[in-house]
Amino acid sequence: MLLLAGPCFIFVAKPTEQHLGQYYTVPPSHFHTVFPHGLPPRYQQQVKTFNEGCVMVRQPALELISHLKRADYSKPTLRYLLYGVKGSGKTMSLCHTVHYCSTQGWLVLHIPDAHLWVKNCKELLPSSYHASRFDQPIQASNWLRNFRTTNEHFLSKIKLRQRYVWTKRESTEEGRPLGELVDMGVSRVKSSSDVVGAVLKELRLQAGGTEGGFRLAVAVDGVNGLWGRTTLKKEDKSPVAPEELTLVHNLRKMINNDWCGGAVIATLSQTGSLYAPSSAYLPQELLGEEGFDSMDPFVPVPVSLYSEKEFESCYLYYLDRHWLQHPHSQTEEGKKELIFLSNRNPSVLERLCAFL
Amino acid sequence: MAASLTGLLKPWTPRVLLVRWSRYNPYYLEPEPRKEVYHIPETELTPEQKEERELKSVRPIKAATNSVTSSVFNDPVLSKFVNMMMKDGDKIIAKGIITQTLENMKRKQVEKYHKAPEGKKAEIECNPYAIFHQALENCKPVIGLASIQKGGKFYQVPIPLTDNRRRFLAMKWMITECRDNKHRRTLMYEKLSQELLAAFSKEGNVVKRKHELHKMAESNRAYAHYRWW
Repeated sequence: MLLLAGPCFIFVAKPTEQHLGQYYTVPPSHFHTVFPHGLPPRYQQQVKTFNEGCVMVRQPALELISHLKRADYSKPTLRYLLYGVKGSGKTMSLCHTVHYCSTQGWLVLHIPDAHLWVKNCKELLPSSYHASRFDQPIQASNWLRNFRTTNEHFLSKIKLRQRYVWTKRESTEEGRPLGELVDMGVSRVKSSSDVVGAVLKELRLQAGGTEGGFRLAVAVDGVNGLWGRTTLKKEDKSPVAPEELTLVHNLRKMINNDWCGGAVIATLSQTGSLYAPSSAYLPQELLGEEGFDSMDPFVPVPVSLYSEKEFESCYLYYLDRHWLQHPHSQTEEGKKELIFLSNRNPSVLERLCAFL
Repeated sequence: MAASLTGLLKPWTPRVLLVRWSRYNPYYLEPEPRKEVYHIPETELTPEQKEERELKSVRPIKAATNSVTSSVFNDPVLSKFVNMMMKDGDKIIAKGIITQTLENMKRKQVEKYHKAPEGKKAEIECNPYAIFHQALENCKPVIGLASIQKGGKFYQVPIPLTDNRRRFLAMKWMITECRDNKHRRTLMYEKLSQELLAAFSKEGNVVKRKHELHKMAESNRAYAHYRWW
């Protein structure tokens, strides 16, 4: 009989409540399709080094998955918000949930970091569709490319319900597959932000449909970036508000719960956020008044630091993968020191074990 | 003589107080950072250790420097290397570069390990500390040259080197090699990890420099008798 209780790591095929604290392997074929973007950079390095991708099964992710299983999809969408201190595993829990959704055949809309859309933009074009808004062609086309990789099989099945006119000579007719729209957005970089808006609108309309209905999962990392301030400036050096960016405007419409047939899973992030103090991690502090009011009926999911069992599991995993090489780190003394130095914070532990 | 408080009661104290002076009164004793010493129970102490403990309870003790730790991961050779890399007293940056170097070396080796077939796995060394120490050993010169004046001319005379001097030369060569002779855009930790891995397998420019020093010493063997110590 397999002893699944106790702090050990075992590679599990389908994670359930019994497997809390244990690692499950994401098949290598899934990595490039499900996660072209969205994984934390240090985790991507770890996957490359260990030649495999293992995710720890933790309480927040399992809670989210159980909510998703039991939700009623004919009612308006539920919004889930993962929050916790820096480095406690919010992005990884989000990726775990995204992987679950894609294995269940949902359409996944994964925005890797909303903060990337409100800062460091080299090209800011005035929008052709709406006079006072600004387009971000590079970010939009990158995101569309990754969206295409993630959801290949849906692109030919979903048909457009409306005619979209891009320029005097170009338009996309009703009934064309979504794939054509996405390809157009990737190739015509100038109108890619409007294409993103059109894609989001189509998916919102068709998600809850009874014929050929699919479930839509909107996963946004760093959702507090949508309601803060931006560091972008207009040509007359006045600051740009987030509402004036097409991408942010369309994403906010997506996060509203006026559509049905899917779920919105969001993560707060202080790391990439602008003008937020580094000790802030609660939803009220990071989202601000406006953000909290827009997100208001949401299901908060707290992500805590490693428990003792999870820490043991992580430690044994690193030992198994030959990552803890310092002879003293493999003793009891070294382990106590690691607990003391990292305070069981997952990212701090990872950085400590990197050079030990 | 003894530490007195009367000197501290002044109408004005400076804003920045030096905690550790480099010239202490010889009355002060050295601090003991190792944890094992304090874990020995009362009964198992030898008479000398008991005396030492009683002495420490009456005498004042010097403040410990920032570089001593009671951590099990403390490595004196690595600390010396960090100090040699440091510029303008910025130990945080130097320590950061060294930790990134160790991580980079470990990543390369572990990746090789996981991709290697079963038979070759045992030969790949993954411990970055072992690689660092072995690489430094491979770079240490056995014999050095000194410039000695005899009859108006200066001759390069082969001389034996102390351990400290050998270690210093190996570290100095490693650091200068990485700073000067590499591509401008590579970061220091990348350059260091490449050079250390090369030195571990006895290739690379630093080991070549050591061999050239040995060859010079061998060719100047005739002047060895100019050394008088």
